[in-house]
Amino acid sequence: MVVDDHPIWRDAVARDLAEGGFTVVATADGVASARRRAAVVLPDVVVMDMRLSDGDGAQATAEVLAVSPSSRILVLSASDEREDVLEAVKAGATGYLVKSASKQELGDAVWATAEGRAVFTPGLAGLVLGEYRRIAQTGTTDSAGTPTPSLTERETEILRHVAKGLTAKQIATRLSLSHRTVENHVQATFRKLQVANRVELARYAIEHGLDE
Amino acid sequence: MLTAVNQPDPATPLWRAAQVFRLLSCIYALGFQIAVNSELDRRAIGWTLFAVLLAWSALCAFAYLRGFGRRAAWVVAEIVVVVALILSTEFVASDQWAFDNQSWPTTLWATNATISAAILSGPIAGMLAGVAVMIASTIVKGFINYDLGRNATIVIELAVGLAVGMAAQTARRAHAELEQAARLAASHQERERLSRQVHDGAIQVLALVSRRGREIGGDTAELAELAGEQERALRRLVSSADETPVGEETDVGALLRKRASDLVSVSVPAEPVLLDTATAGELYAAAVNALDNVAAHAGPEARAYVLLEDLGDTVTVSIRDDGVGIAEGRLEEAVGEGRVGVAKSIVGRMDWLGGSAKLTTAPGCGTEWELTVPRR
Repeated sequence: MVVDDHPIWRDAVARDLAEGGFTVVATADGVASARRRAAVVLPDVVVMDMRLSDGDGAQATAEVLAVSPSSRILVLSASDEREDVLEAVKAGATGYLVKSASKQELGDAVWATAEGRAVFTPGLAGLVLGEYRRIAQTGTTDSAGTPTPSLTERETEILRHVAKGLTAKQIATRLSLSHRTVENHVQATFRKLQVANRVELARYAIEHGLDE
Repeated sequence: MLTAVNQPDPATPLWRAAQVFRLLSCIYALGFQIAVNSELDRRAIGWTLFAVLLAWSALCAFAYLRGFGRRAAWVVAEIVVVVALILSTEFVASDQWAFDNQSWPTTLWATNATISAAILSGPIAGMLAGVAVMIASTIVKGFINYDLGRNATIVIELAVGLAVGMAAQTARRAHAELEQAARLAASHQERERLSRQVHDGAIQVLALVSRRGREIGGDTAELAELAGEQERALRRLVSSADETPVGEETDVGALLRKRASDLVSVSVPAEPVLLDTATAGELYAAAVNALDNVAAHAGPEARAYVLLEDLGDTVTVSIRDDGVGIAEGRLEEAVGEGRVGVAKSIVGRMDWLGGSAKLTTAPGCGTEWELTVPRR
């Protein structure tokens, strides 16, 4: 499923994916239509733009996952939409690709996402790294005692390598780890942010009486 | 009339009020006419002229209310009629009567002309009309009355012309300013909307062109490169607001993002990384030195990766490339050739900032600079 508010892009991405051997089950141009269609077609992978006609990709990510929890979200976005991308990752997106990526890279990324692997760019790694550091600097512990997400040394090391443009394979070689272990570490950094985000949302809901 | 229909006259409320005054002045003139009729020499003509006055007043009220009378010709005509009626005093009454009384058909009614001129053309025109009315009245009386204590007509005429004229002028100016402000706001909004749309559309198409072009390869790849450059330039333009210094501090991330290109990946935190402007500038300059070095020595296909990290007490910029690296002994060789200028300049800058610069390299593995500055 392809979600993009720009028809030229939506069609181009859908065509590329179809040529790459994927089945495009639906396209959507906004948050509401993405949710409606995802609920019906339950897509394996959603290729998500960040700027939509009626909201942003983070919102759409959350709403699609709410109606189709088995879907995996790959964000395909312009390089400068930084905060949004981070929000999408927190909302549950597991991959991020810039729009300048080639057809081949897009196909590979969709496969990887479908297989449950995290797709990331140096840019996203830098964002995630920055987010953990921001969390570490601003709110170490809060009154509710919720564990704030933090990175292990190994995770930090790996994220830094990713941010500096090393591939998972290169990192594995450098750190004498398996390719898969490196990917697992990166995924863990995403997941922890998502969990923290969910906890935060739930706490917000309880504090504001929205859970009833 | 067209003007009245197309563009509402901001003085319209004044015109309406003036016609109410006209009605009242006519009633007053009628009372005066009844009261003094017996004293007039030619009563029949007096009543005839009074009928003319009423008819003219009704016509004026209609013309001004509908809008077609709101022009110079009509107002001049009104002044002429008023002056003529005042001058007719000579004809209907004796000189002695004219001397003893206010001029026929009452100063109050004559003031209508002053008001009309003032509303149409402002305080100067209003006062001039008042003067015209007073001159006519003076001619009738045959002398100039300097005693303002007994005869304040001239003062009242001038004051009415001035006050009503200024009110009309103010109303028009306020209206014009309001209109201009509304126009400005509308055009600003429209520009913003356009720029959003144009930018978004153009950026998307450029991104697509650059992507497709690269896939096709050959000469088209060059076009793709150009499209990609323009795409990035447009993006920077749209989001240029955050590049400006925040007070004494500058976001290093925003500076570094300017260097992003097909061959240079820039990774920065979502939050701005603020350093005092001088430090940020030096750190950025050192990073640019390192990037220039990559472009010059790492090989044409080499990609560079910039990572900015905010560690609280320190800020680190890493510049890594996947180029040919520097072979063992090559660095010494370069020193011998006096070609370590760039490296020296980077180290020098970092020293000056009280930070550190670390270079790691190996043949075939590219080079990596790690620049760290302390936060002061």
